[in-house]
Amino acid sequence: MRKTALTEKEDELMIVVNALGEQCPIPVVKATRALREMREPGTLEILVDNETAVQNLLRMASGHHLAATVEQRGEKEYAVTVEVTAPVGDTPMEEPELCCVPDSGLVVAVDTDAMGRGSEELGKTLMKGFLFAVGQLPVPPRTMLFYNGGARLTVEGSDSLEDLKKLEEQGVEILTCGTCLNYYGLTEKLAVGAVTNMYTIVEKLAGAGKVVKP
Amino acid sequence: MRQKEEQCVVTFRTTAGAMAMEKACKAAGLPGRLIPVPRTITAGCGMCWAAPPSARDALEELVMERRLQVDGIYAILL
Repeated sequence: MRKTALTEKEDELMIVVNALGEQCPIPVVKATRALREMREPGTLEILVDNETAVQNLLRMASGHHLAATVEQRGEKEYAVTVEVTAPVGDTPMEEPELCCVPDSGLVVAVDTDAMGRGSEELGKTLMKGFLFAVGQLPVPPRTMLFYNGGARLTVEGSDSLEDLKKLEEQGVEILTCGTCLNYYGLTEKLAVGAVTNMYTIVEKLAGAGKVVKP
Repeated sequence: MRQKEEQCVVTFRTTAGAMAMEKACKAAGLPGRLIPVPRTITAGCGMCWAAPPSARDALEELVMERRLQVDGIYAILL
C-alpha cells in the first residue's frame, strides 16, 4: 500500500491509497485499513482502475455514513474521494457485503405483471418466463424496479418470488413502489426486496447504464 | 456461481398446453413452475414445466389422467 500525506492545507489531512491494478476485494480492504488509521478528520482518496471497485468503495463509504465522490481520470483510472468528517475508528460497517461481481449497470423496470400487449393470460405467462430468464443472465442486473401492476410480482402468492429471491441473493437490489403496494392493498404482503418511492425510482433510472422494460 | 440442480422438465406442443399444465398442477397441488424451454432442449421458443425430479411420477400420472398434450419429459440440470 502506498500512502502519502500529500497536503496539509487548511490543516486537513489527505491520504492517498493507490489500488490501481488491484482486483476486488483488495481496494476496499486497503481503503478500510487506511480509513481506520485516520485519527483525525480529512480526505481519503483511493485510486482504482475498475468500475466494480468504484461501486464497492462507494458502498463502503455509505456504510460509514461518509460522503464520497468519483472522478474518472483516465480510461482506466478512477479516483474515489471520501470526506472523512469524523474518524471511524474501529466501528463496524453497517453494510459490509462486497459485491465482487461486475456491475452490469442494468436496471430492469417492471411496470406490469403481464409482458407485452395482447392476451393478459399469455402476458402473465411470458412475465414468469422473463423473470426466470433474468436470473440466468451471466451478469445480473444492478436493480429491478417494480411499479404499478409490477408490484403484484414481489408480493406473497407471486409465482416469481423464487426467482426474485435468488436474484436478491446474487446482490440484485429489488425495489417495489410503495404508492403502488398501498393502492393495491398489498403493503403487508411484500415478500422480496424493499419498498421504495418515486424519488428513488427516478434516481435509479437516471443512474442506470441501461434500462430494460419487459 | 449458481449451483445447478437436476430438474424434471415437461415440454408441450403448444403454449396453451404448457399453461394448461400449470393450471392442472396448481389444482392438484403438484410442485413445479413454468419456465422458458431451456436452450439445451430446443432452440425454439415456448414454455415448459420444471419440477423437482421426485415429482416425476406424479406429473406423468397427471399428464395421462388429464390427457395433456406433452411433447417430452426430460431430466436436465438447470
